[in-house]
Amino acid sequence: MDKKLDASFERVEKALAVLIDSMTKFTPSEKAANDVVKAERELFLGLEELEVHQRNVARIKQLKQETEALDAQTKQTISALWEMRKELVAVAPTKFSPAKEEKYPFTTQQLLDYARRISRNTLPPPGVTNGVDLSTAAPTTPDDQAATGPNASFATSIGGGGGGSGSGQGTAASTPAPGVQDSFVSQVPSQSQTGATELPVHLKPAVNPLENAPFFTFPTIDRIRSGALAQYQDLINRGIDPKNYDPEEEERRIKQEEQDRKDAEERARQEREEQDRRMREERERMARERELARQQQQQQEGGMDRRGSVLAPGQAGGQPARAAPKQFTFLDEDDDDEDED
Amino acid sequence: MASEPMSIGSSAQDPPPVPDATSQEPKYGGHTRFELELEFVQALGNPEYVNYLASRKFLQNPAFVAYLDYLQYWTRPPYLQYITYPTSCLKMLELLQVERFRKDILSPNLTHALVTEGMKAAVEWHRESLS
Repeated sequence: MDKKLDASFERVEKALAVLIDSMTKFTPSEKAANDVVKAERELFLGLEELEVHQRNVARIKQLKQETEALDAQTKQTISALWEMRKELVAVAPTKFSPAKEEKYPFTTQQLLDYARRISRNTLPPPGVTNGVDLSTAAPTTPDDQAATGPNASFATSIGGGGGGSGSGQGTAASTPAPGVQDSFVSQVPSQSQTGATELPVHLKPAVNPLENAPFFTFPTIDRIRSGALAQYQDLINRGIDPKNYDPEEEERRIKQEEQDRKDAEERARQEREEQDRRMREERERMARERELARQQQQQQEGGMDRRGSVLAPGQAGGQPARAAPKQFTFLDEDDDDEDED
Repeated sequence: MASEPMSIGSSAQDPPPVPDATSQEPKYGGHTRFELELEFVQALGNPEYVNYLASRKFLQNPAFVAYLDYLQYWTRPPYLQYITYPTSCLKMLELLQVERFRKDILSPNLTHALVTEGMKAAVEWHRESLS
């Protein structure tokens, strides 16, 4: 651009120089003047072009600046994002236990059931003190206690329970009434008793079997020793793999086998009986048939007798007497066979 | 009890399913894993038992410590409702997560103190709530 402008200037200057030269020689040349005008016009065109050029340059500059600014902004954003990511990664995630995240709805009934289930392991039964002297926690001083009798500590212990009245202490202590207050009554030390209605120490276990019994809020060693884990250990000790081994199942299996064996025996016995019965029936049938045959034989013979009597009336008595022994002899033999069976 | 604490197949990482009428859980000596673990976690409430475990060096076994950690699912619903010795059992389970306690419970004095204090507290908490 500079070169182009320089060339234009040069041309203008040259043309002007030629014109001035011609004027100084007092021979003004029209051509020179036209050249100057022409050169000047070109120069103006060049200048206009320069102006456009300059404007473009400015525009480019501006755009460049804008780009840079945007680049910087992008970089900044990216670096901010990177920082943020690093921070996020660095933050140790808080572990929420599922209990805090999830709500387990339960009903009042369930709650009460649970309370009932755990109460025998969390609340000492009446009369059980675990060796704790419950009277010591009474807010009253010993003097006050002596003045008001044991009812001060008693009333405090049961917190306004049913037996907290003045006369309640003695009677409750002497009767094994079930109830929470009873446990506290029996724990009142005897030295603070009025004495008249209190049972002697050696009789206390008689009215309350739980007197001085310990209360634990955990399963006792005996319980642990008789539990499922002990059974498990026992199986291991006996060399049985407890996995998938169920003693009840095993017992059932043994019983079942025994039952099967008994059933089989029973079946065999029945079959034997059935066989016997069939044989007996067969024998009876045969006997009946023989009897029938015998009767038929007799009938036939009877017929012959009649015929014989018709034919020879004189021999009617002798003929069957001879034939009968034959028949009976045969039958006797048959009977003998049967007896042998 | 068991000289090998990990004799139960310890591959399972998830708590056993809560029993219902239809469940067909494999049984170990006639009991499901749920029943055995429930019994064990409650037995842990007994300081003497824990002392016994410590004396048999179970509490130094990393696998057993991991098992104690795993047993913490009993502190959350729906398993929590099956614990019938909640007071001592849950506290002991919490204490057993601490290494110091696992070493200290070897001491008979501490065991005895835990038993007597537990017995005392069992009576006193109720009185405090009333007075």
